[in-house]
Amino acid sequence: MIVCGIDIGSLQTKLALMSAKELIDYRTERSTFNFKKIGHNLFDDILEKNNLKRADVYVMSTGYGRNSIDIADDRITEITAHAKGAQYFYPEAHSVIDIGGQDSKAIVISKKTGNVIDFQMNDKCAAGTGRFLEVMAHALEIPIEEIGELALNSKKPASISSTCTVFAESEVISLFARGASKIDIAAGIHKSIARRVAGMAKRIGVGQTLVFCGGVAKNIAVKKYLEIELGYEIVTPKYPQLTGAIGAALIGQDNMKK
Amino acid sequence: MTVELLSNYYYYLKEKKAEGKKIIAHMAHDNLPEELIDAAGFVPLNMIFAGNDELMNSSHDYLPPSTCSFAQSCIGLFSEKPNNFNFLELIDYFIVSNHCVSDICASEIITKYFSIPRLNFYMSYTLSENALKYYELELKDLKNQLEKIKGSEIKEENLNESIKRYNNFKKKLLEVNNLEIKGKTKLEIFQKAMLYGPDFLPELDTIIQNSQPQRSNNLKELILTGCSIFINDYLIDLIEESGGNIVFFDTWIGDNYFSQIFDDAILNSKENPYDLLLYRYRNNVGGDHMVPEYLENKVTKLEKIFQNYKKKTGKPLGVINHIIKFCDHISINSAFLKEKLQEKKIPILNLERDYSRANRGQLSTRIEAFIEMM
Repeated sequence: MIVCGIDIGSLQTKLALMSAKELIDYRTERSTFNFKKIGHNLFDDILEKNNLKRADVYVMSTGYGRNSIDIADDRITEITAHAKGAQYFYPEAHSVIDIGGQDSKAIVISKKTGNVIDFQMNDKCAAGTGRFLEVMAHALEIPIEEIGELALNSKKPASISSTCTVFAESEVISLFARGASKIDIAAGIHKSIARRVAGMAKRIGVGQTLVFCGGVAKNIAVKKYLEIELGYEIVTPKYPQLTGAIGAALIGQDNMKK
Repeated sequence: MTVELLSNYYYYLKEKKAEGKKIIAHMAHDNLPEELIDAAGFVPLNMIFAGNDELMNSSHDYLPPSTCSFAQSCIGLFSEKPNNFNFLELIDYFIVSNHCVSDICASEIITKYFSIPRLNFYMSYTLSENALKYYELELKDLKNQLEKIKGSEIKEENLNESIKRYNNFKKKLLEVNNLEIKGKTKLEIFQKAMLYGPDFLPELDTIIQNSQPQRSNNLKELILTGCSIFINDYLIDLIEESGGNIVFFDTWIGDNYFSQIFDDAILNSKENPYDLLLYRYRNNVGGDHMVPEYLENKVTKLEKIFQNYKKKTGKPLGVINHIIKFCDHISINSAFLKEKLQEKKIPILNLERDYSRANRGQLSTRIEAFIEMM
């Protein structure tokens, strides 16, 4: 039986089509305000490209929009899905940091059972999330895909003290006005995200092997500053954005065996 | 349910006013003697109403947004005067107290800016000899303030009678607590009971007599601790929609209120009713703010509930520690509580939130993930 994990995040929708432990195909696309529509479109497309019918596939949804999609056979939270997905890439995973578009999470996994034993999510504000990074990239007029690389060139990261996205944006503009370089400001932004997320993660006792996933995990500067804050190396899966969708698919497979 | 409850409550209070009774409001308070208000012939009004975005925003004319969301909401109620809350206009006096930061913020501002005459009742929240003496003095002082309004003395026999009435009422709530009914049903009974006080006794009798067990086999059973779920809050629905069922309310609306009862032997052994109130204060070791050892007592109590339930049903319980944003007392202690319960292998979720609707999705994820974890 083939299982499709659908992770509907606030910014990005991800699909992972799996047969046993093999990732057959995947899709990622910007989420719209209509979670149901984007989920359906991507699902129809992945079925067609793989010559599958709806009845051939068990669907497990996760993410912020998990309850919006009516094609799902079952649902699971992104916390449980990410823990499972992280262990797909790194079976020895002890912890997960997931930074998505709207929120960030830290998860601790039991080495004995592989289940979640503790987790923490950021507050409802955008600080320490992908959205924060987007707003800051916009303020600096740097494409979001380039901001991480650029930040790594800094020798003296600027200090961003505001944790609120709105205030931090004003702070960035003010730093700019005072002559700070784009590179140093970009580094300061990444450091600020890393400090906030690492603080949250430390509170629940994360440790190695720590898997960094979610869309923001593709940003190498956030990874570097997280490692500095945590004091050890962290790992990023091949498809960091797909971790939740893959985890949901694997949980779907487990459900079917029961 | 809420609209009907609040509407009926308005007519109830209006009737009481027509009988010449004064309405004395106070922030929910585990050491405030409602019996004294009742013995004076007045009606205590518990401020146990949840807020929303509009109410919180409206309060920012009076206090900063970094104040307890419950305090913000209470002030918002007086500022916005929503339709269903017209009974607030019937309040004659408001008790200003120092139960917590929320209590001080809200009660001071409500009396000052909304022109409601104040009564004072302060306390020290320890159990030292000095604290006991101070509590006794404050009891007498509140009695004097109430007598001044009443224009005559509060007789000891009347106070004794009120203490017995409240005691029977709380015993009945303990019976409700033991009913096998869904958490939401139970909570709504507690909320209504705390509005109407002992006048709710006949309805409680009917509820107990007609109660049918409500099966909730697919739901994970939970203890709620920390901040109460107040009237008009969506949290209880969210918990049940997420697959949880609260079987024990270790909160002010719940066990912390109705467990403050007197054994008959104690009730009959003290002739002076003020000695009884003092006895209750002395024994309120699990009270929300009683220091030192508040947390140690809290952990012991939760562990006892957890073990007893496991013994009785074979099922483990999870704990949701409900933290209303900027409720500093509950918030600051939450890390320690979590650590201690985790050491005892009791699952716990620290659930911090305000009354905003915007974080409903995220709250739901946290609760569902906790239930999946259990």
